Amino acid sequence: MTSSRLAAPYGQRIDRSRQLSFEFNGRSMNGHPGDTLASALLANGVRLVGRSFKLHRPRGIYSCGVEEPNALVDLGDGATRTPNMRATQVELYEGLAAASVNCWPSVEFDLGAINSRISALLPAGFYYKTFKWPNWHLFEPAVRRMAGLGRASGECDRDRYEEAAAQAEVLIIGGGLAGLSAAVAAAEAGADTVLLASSQALGGALGWQSDPEIDDLILRARRSGVRQMTRTLAFGIYDHNLVCARETLHSPAAHAPAGGVLRERLWKIRARAVIVAAGSFERPMIFPNNDRPGVMLAGAAEKYAHAFGVACGQRVVIAANSDSAYRVAASMLAAGIDVIALVDRRPQADIGADGVPVRTLMSAGIAKVGGTRAVEECTVISTELDGVRPERLQCDSILSAGGHAPAVHLHSQAGGKLRWLEESSMFVPDGPAPGVWSAGACAGLFSRDAVASHAAELGLALARGLAPPPAAVGGAGRSLAATHVPGLAGKQFVDLQNDVAVGDIGLAAQENYRSVEHLKRYTTTGMGTDQGKTSNVNALVLMGEYTAREPAEVGTTKFRPPFAPVTLGLIAGRRVGALYRPLKILPAQEWHRARGALFEQFGSWVRPSAYPRANETLESAAQREAGAVRRTAGVLDGSPLGKLEIFGPDAAHFLDLMYVGTMSNLIPGQARYGLLLNENGIVVDDGIVARLGPQHYWVNTTSAGVERTAAAFEEWLQCEYTSLRVLVTPVTSRWGNVTVAGPRSWAWLESAGFDPALAPGSMGHMSIQESRLDGLPLRVLRVSFSGELGYEINLPAEHTAALLERLWARADEFSAVPYGIEALEIMRTEKGFIHIGTDTDGTTLPQDIGFARALERKAANFVGRRSLLRPAARDPDRLQLVALSPADGRTLLPVGAQLAAALPPTQTEGHVTSSYWSPELNCPVALGLLARGTQRLGESVRVHHLGKVIDARVVKAPFIDPKGERLHG
Amino acid sequence: MASSPAETSEVEVAGLSLRVQRQVEVASLRYFDTTDRFVAAVREFLGSPMPAPQHALRVDAPPNGARFILLWRSPTETLLLSYDPAAIAELDERVASEVDGCMVVQTGGMRVLRVTGPKARDLLLRLGSVTAIPALGEARSARLAELQVLTACVQAGEYLLLVDRVYANHLLGWVRATVADF
Repeated sequence: MTSSRLAAPYGQRIDRSRQLSFEFNGRSMNGHPGDTLASALLANGVRLVGRSFKLHRPRGIYSCGVEEPNALVDLGDGATRTPNMRATQVELYEGLAAASVNCWPSVEFDLGAINSRISALLPAGFYYKTFKWPNWHLFEPAVRRMAGLGRASGECDRDRYEEAAAQAEVLIIGGGLAGLSAAVAAAEAGADTVLLASSQALGGALGWQSDPEIDDLILRARRSGVRQMTRTLAFGIYDHNLVCARETLHSPAAHAPAGGVLRERLWKIRARAVIVAAGSFERPMIFPNNDRPGVMLAGAAEKYAHAFGVACGQRVVIAANSDSAYRVAASMLAAGIDVIALVDRRPQADIGADGVPVRTLMSAGIAKVGGTRAVEECTVISTELDGVRPERLQCDSILSAGGHAPAVHLHSQAGGKLRWLEESSMFVPDGPAPGVWSAGACAGLFSRDAVASHAAELGLALARGLAPPPAAVGGAGRSLAATHVPGLAGKQFVDLQNDVAVGDIGLAAQENYRSVEHLKRYTTTGMGTDQGKTSNVNALVLMGEYTAREPAEVGTTKFRPPFAPVTLGLIAGRRVGALYRPLKILPAQEWHRARGALFEQFGSWVRPSAYPRANETLESAAQREAGAVRRTAGVLDGSPLGKLEIFGPDAAHFLDLMYVGTMSNLIPGQARYGLLLNENGIVVDDGIVARLGPQHYWVNTTSAGVERTAAAFEEWLQCEYTSLRVLVTPVTSRWGNVTVAGPRSWAWLESAGFDPALAPGSMGHMSIQESRLDGLPLRVLRVSFSGELGYEINLPAEHTAALLERLWARADEFSAVPYGIEALEIMRTEKGFIHIGTDTDGTTLPQDIGFARALERKAANFVGRRSLLRPAARDPDRLQLVALSPADGRTLLPVGAQLAAALPPTQTEGHVTSSYWSPELNCPVALGLLARGTQRLGESVRVHHLGKVIDARVVKAPFIDPKGERLHG
Repeated sequence: MASSPAETSEVEVAGLSLRVQRQVEVASLRYFDTTDRFVAAVREFLGSPMPAPQHALRVDAPPNGARFILLWRSPTETLLLSYDPAAIAELDERVASEVDGCMVVQTGGMRVLRVTGPKARDLLLRLGSVTAIPALGEARSARLAELQVLTACVQAGEYLLLVDRVYANHLLGWVRATVADF
């Protein structure tokens, strides 16, 4: 194939007055503004562009659009490298650098091509049958290295992506004749109309050349206020007419600014009515070696000539199964390209054959293609005994015209059904999908006048809320379902990207794969970046032949979004870096920073884990802080603690229903620990419930559990306990929380001016008081998660830092320290206090963690109670919370390590859930879930961790202050 | 809401201004039914009925002279905004004894952002969905920048965004990243 530029008027899309330089596989070339990478490569005579996925066969440019199976390239380098871009969709720009994929060391000499030599050993499904012995992992590294096509960049993408929302009364997908006609009619009828076009210019299949009708429609669209969004590819239709589209704003230019560019925008568009006018794909002919560079879709060759002024060959043979081939033949001749012959599989043509001065061979097919890296000749045979004899034709290009396949993907995504149109051998929409109508070629309508009028009627009707016109099909002419000739030697490819040949489909049928979905998975046809846009119909027709079924009976696979590949960046949008996920910030974040806090994420909160001093590690800082709290006092920012206000005449009864404990008998000022279960009886949260007034409660939940708990409360109120008059108001962010703990905590608070009524002698453990400090409202709880005398001081969040600073000013006097989550975890483990989610899992019941008596005491109903009566809940082998101590008194038991009494091999009997070095006891302390744990006090267990075994003993909890004297002050 | 010295400018670009209302008082008015005594007491104090579902009301001349904004949030909750802490405290005291509703002060727990300028709508379209944009007199629960945000429009040309204080930095970060590409 000797490609060259055609003289004007060919090349409507390119600006010949300017040149752009680019590189392909390191070779410098030139193109023009308006070129795609594919057109520029063809213009530079490049035939071999890539290698196929499995067999590494040489491949060239096959199409002119999104359906391209062959010409995949890695675009750019370093952080801007984008893999598997279709050269047919890449707009050329100055400095573009592209490289072939799936080849080494080069596309011309690819070692992977050895696969082609042993292709007989690599039929469909070979990987399901091999790689089993001795085991898969032996082969896995090599297979992983070979898998995939292009290579993603290992660097961070410095470009940016964003989302935007829009709405429309009528949304039209497709900027061709049908789309423009519908858009103009809708907009002129007064509808808010949006038109999406994937290419940079409107006109669709007719926009490749000058067309007065298209020009007029574009003008009318502009005047009537149609919002035109070009370079915007609709890739998915979701529920309730949500259309997602990718707008390309910038190509990954070689010389982009260091900070990157806004490259793509994800549009989410809601529309009252959607018209899909996405056109169609040309269906390829199937013949031996139909994958050679130089074999391409006939319509693509025509577009390359008209739009880009590129002749894809000088001597072409057209392999046909449809009438459109004759139009292409005439077009090629007009461009000065020699059409050697038109090889038509059909006994006769229907439309357009007359008057085309080209040698036509009917009932004929291509039996052989000569040439390895490019087409050099082909052999034509008759498919009927009395037809033409085998004949060799010298050619440099074979154009494939096997009919059309309407782009029904979006219609199908929207829930639309399909039907097989026998005469044209294509699937077309069987009526509209809910809220989504098809127009033009994607509806199976190919007659130009009919397309324009039907689309306009549709646009007008949808704009005015009238009944849309019935679907119309026709104009595609007659084509045979089969595009191949059975029984010929050589590989006849159905799916070019995945190297699926006719024989592979036959093998699948032979192995009794009858469902088209199974066929797809077994052979991989229809997979990959092109998702079988050129192969699906041929594959299912073949499947029908092999299984003696009509194509309609075989059906199609499910079309799923995206219609074409989209970048991960587009999906991520702004959710990268600091915006990756919303993180909750403490009200006194800067105060902690100034105290040298080491921040970590705990759930969605960013909290101090410790306040390391010079030369301290996180662990040593936590040890120091925990020790200081035990000896003197410490302050913790407990602001993340979940806080709910429960109000209403039925609040007490409601909380009795929600918690294992009884809350209705609390008198105002009292507080009680509560366990929250789900309906399966599983422990899902815990906290403190305090009564502020007759119908007013204050509820503390875990930091991570407040949203879940509030939602559960609302769900029960709205769905089950609808007669209860209870209001649940989350106030976590409204109230900051400063927790002061330690034997000198009250003295510290008193020195800071707190009301003497809060003194331990006046305010008992598990109580709440509303107080004031310099007029500031406080809600002070006497509770403790550290096991020491403790106060949780809730105050308006914006004053949290001020209170911390006020205490800090007196810290030295009491040898007090700020402490972080790590120290708190040490102290609560020493006390044997559970941490929901750490010491419990999705199977833990209250009795597993020591609440059996609480269950017995409560006679009233509560959520989860019934589930606790199941036999499984009373299984004596259940995992139960125990305290663990290493036998040597020195070895820290690893969290997650498995527990078992016997040496391996043995079954696990539980695992370690919490483990710390106790600064108070100067030895490790741990908690774990152990089968029959409560009956095994004093028993030895073995702790298994990464091949090591540590002997440990089940001990009585808590490790310190078993009488609870410290927390009472 | 009128501009106030208590607001700080967070984002200023051509066609867009976003300011954080630092000293606005926020309270949740919680009730079981709009016919309850609690609601009647609030109405008497404000001189205005509660807003209809998904609506926002501006109360410029209530009996006590303070100005309020009422934003419908759910069938049992309306948010009350004011720059007058004394008025909020007075209402709190007045309804404290009611048994069929309560007022929960949320000041400091919510950030109130005021967005103005011709590009304000465009900003909201890039932060969330079309449904996030309230018409004049509307209040909508929306999802902006992956966050639950109450959006309201009580004055033509400006939007109020109410977001949980702990997430305000995230929302502002998203806004700054977005306007950088305006």
